[in-house]
Amino acid sequence: MTGAIGWAILIPLGGALLAAAAGERASRWIAALAAAATTCAAIGVAASVARHGPSRHPAGGWLAPLGIELRADGLAATMLLTIAAVAGLVAAHALADRSRAAACARSCPLWLFTWAALDALVVSGDIFNLYVTLELATLAAVGLVADGEGPDAPRAALRYLLFALPGSLLYLLGVALIYGEHGALDPATLGAHVGASAPDTAAMALMTAGLCLKAALFPLHAWPVLAYTRASPVAGALLAGLVGKAAFLVLVRLWLEVYPATFTSAAGPVLGTLAAGAILWGSLHALWQPRLRAVIAYSSVAHTGYLFMWFALGTRDALAGALFVVMSHAAASASMFLATGAIARALGHDRVEGLTGLAHRLPIPFFALALAGTSAMAMPPSSGFVGKWLLVRAAFETGHRLWAAVMLIGGLLAAAYVFRLLRRAFLPRPAGEPIAITRSSGGHAALALALVAIALGLAPGLALDLLRGGSAP
Amino acid sequence: MTALDVLLAGALPVLAWRALATDDLHEAVVFFIALGLVAALAWARLDAPDIALVEAAVGAGVTGSLFVTTLRARGLRPPASPAPRRARIALAVLTIASALGIGAALAALPAEPPGLGELVRASLPETGVQHTVTAVLLNVRGYDTLLEMAVLVAAVLAVLARAPSPSARPAARPAAPDDDPARPLIAVLARLLVPGIILVAGYLLWRGAFAPGGAFQAAAVLAGGGILAILAGRRAPDPHARAVRRGLVFGPGAFVLIAAVPLIAGRHVLEYPEGWAKVLIVAVEVALTFSIALTLVLFFPASGEKGT
Amino acid sequence: MTPLLYASSGVAVFAIALYRIFTAGDVLRKIIAANLLGGGVFLILVAIARRPAAGIDPVPHALVLTGIVVSVSATACALALARRLEGTTLDDGDDGDDGSDDTEVAGRGP
Repeated sequence: MTGAIGWAILIPLGGALLAAAAGERASRWIAALAAAATTCAAIGVAASVARHGPSRHPAGGWLAPLGIELRADGLAATMLLTIAAVAGLVAAHALADRSRAAACARSCPLWLFTWAALDALVVSGDIFNLYVTLELATLAAVGLVADGEGPDAPRAALRYLLFALPGSLLYLLGVALIYGEHGALDPATLGAHVGASAPDTAAMALMTAGLCLKAALFPLHAWPVLAYTRASPVAGALLAGLVGKAAFLVLVRLWLEVYPATFTSAAGPVLGTLAAGAILWGSLHALWQPRLRAVIAYSSVAHTGYLFMWFALGTRDALAGALFVVMSHAAASASMFLATGAIARALGHDRVEGLTGLAHRLPIPFFALALAGTSAMAMPPSSGFVGKWLLVRAAFETGHRLWAAVMLIGGLLAAAYVFRLLRRAFLPRPAGEPIAITRSSGGHAALALALVAIALGLAPGLALDLLRGGSAP
Repeated sequence: MTALDVLLAGALPVLAWRALATDDLHEAVVFFIALGLVAALAWARLDAPDIALVEAAVGAGVTGSLFVTTLRARGLRPPASPAPRRARIALAVLTIASALGIGAALAALPAEPPGLGELVRASLPETGVQHTVTAVLLNVRGYDTLLEMAVLVAAVLAVLARAPSPSARPAARPAAPDDDPARPLIAVLARLLVPGIILVAGYLLWRGAFAPGGAFQAAAVLAGGGILAILAGRRAPDPHARAVRRGLVFGPGAFVLIAAVPLIAGRHVLEYPEGWAKVLIVAVEVALTFSIALTLVLFFPASGEKGT
Repeated sequence: MTPLLYASSGVAVFAIALYRIFTAGDVLRKIIAANLLGGGVFLILVAIARRPAAGIDPVPHALVLTGIVVSVSATACALALARRLEGTTLDDGDDGDDGSDDTEVAGRGP
């Protein structure tokens, strides 16, 4: 079954190209088929890893260090499944909406490219190839933002691009230095040779800085917020749920396989401090945002902080926790973006103060929001709880009490901002105030995503076993 | 190291600074194009003729004209205020410090370095081509090139998102209004140059198998010809026409197909069957040349599209 | 020595571009800076490829050719967006971060 890893990339790629050339009706069919087939390929990779352990797939038949090897291991398999679940349900949402068929046909090549890029990124075993996958994800994401209907779409897209580009080019400069020093690009060779020399240290600093910028880690967190709040719900769900995690996943690979202990022990506390800043800053700002989508955007800022906390803790359990947060937040934030989209569409706005008493009028989106919210605030039995519990426990075990406290405070703040939204929605509507609801459908995919976020927490063992099925953690 | 090297290496940062510091945007674009041309010379001095060809055609040519076109389309806008002084000073200190650090790291790189060059040369007979750069681009690291083509298509889709169709306004011409006094001159130039350009592109494509050249170089030259023809009054391709869309994805699509067939046969992505490497590489290159050239042409705004 | 000379030149171009991409006000200048960031890295990579006495290392050359295509794609995309932009900067008017404006969200149908 080593072919499945290739199909997981080539199917969305080919589907995107076909959909770009086809007419409106045909392109939606192609996108639906490609989404289904890519999901099957991801399941195939995961099944193979679960049964036979990690495997390698040399592209073009060329083995590393000369060629580019694709790798199926526990980390790759869990991420492929996460991407498939989130992108697949977001795709189902986009395809099911018949009133926006033209917009869907225009954007489906771009979300298929995003899907292909993310699949290629999580399996890539080559540090230059990772740069290409990051850029593909960025440009497809920019296209999705630019396709938005608001007057602000070009500005949001351009700002996203102009912050993402220096991030990837800092990373590429690091790659150039590493190649100059060691003459290789594959993690196995580099892991055996990268040390504490001046070029190595400079390269690792550049790559780490570039990836932090690309991941929008505090204090450079503000740039994707505009895109998250201005893009269409589908684009917002893909960007905040998946694309925003890409740079983190690349850094995890480097940290585990390339960076020596001398570097990680020095850089870990720095990243931990930034992560703590992200958790507190993001959660606090989410508290008083006047618009629903801005609340979710700042919640994403805070969640990036939880992910990066792993670099300060460094244990295997903490990594499992961080990756659990990746899975849980991918599903939960995508759910919240789609639910917000459905609410905004029904009301014509997404202002928090205008949500009073609407929970029973829009039951599905608000139920999705509430379920996904429990995951965001790490309430058991949600998946968010599992991830953050693993992280907090690791922080106590390694003696990082301050970081544990920050994460616990972040959890309380998350409870506060989620309750602020839900309390208002479940309040009785003031009498005499008319509610103009144009449509109340379109929350089913949001609900399904929220259920994924909960289900992961009910059976965490499944995901954790698969995660450890590979060599990575 | 000769005086020419010192001159070229010194000119590049100066031109970069001029392009980025000047208040006049027209001047900025001129310096940017000049920098592209100097860079092409620098690539040639560094024994990188493949890159020199691409830089001259794409870096200075296509990208430069894109800047000129955008400058025209945007018209004059009020100047934007730069970042606050304190932030600028802090950032200047930070970048200078990092640049010194990176410079020191570069100086510490081994003089007789490890690299994959020997390995590539040893594997060259199996790649099906004789030119090492083409062997890396289309065989050894062909997977990178496959994803790079996806980047190109994703970018052109992003460019075309919400772009108006030129058939909606048939009278409008890109970037050259009808009263442009240069038009007859461009028309004559185009008639003289375009056939030659097609010949040069074909030659570059064919040459790529054993010497510097190849799909991207040929496509860049071809796109230059296409843009010239459009400036001379030829109708620009309609990005929303079905035929144009098919042309766009034809090359990358063929590449994906060739990458997928070995998977069906139980082999690896993009693993050319024994003895087929050369034929398949040439087929991919021809298909890619056509689609890349079309993509580059479509990067230019159709129908004199202006700001919103 | 020659490779180091060009590599240093690449570092200088990179640093200037990095400084300007964050400090320039106008988007067109930011886009030029983004393009030159790539140019600086490519110069360093090619200089690195030039060092071996046995002959040029073709791998960095291939990486740079791939990088140039990615860079052209990003630049073309940025310029197309700049043409559709109403103002000159990315943050004039409301900043958007606080989401305090009342413009209708993009998710609403016509």
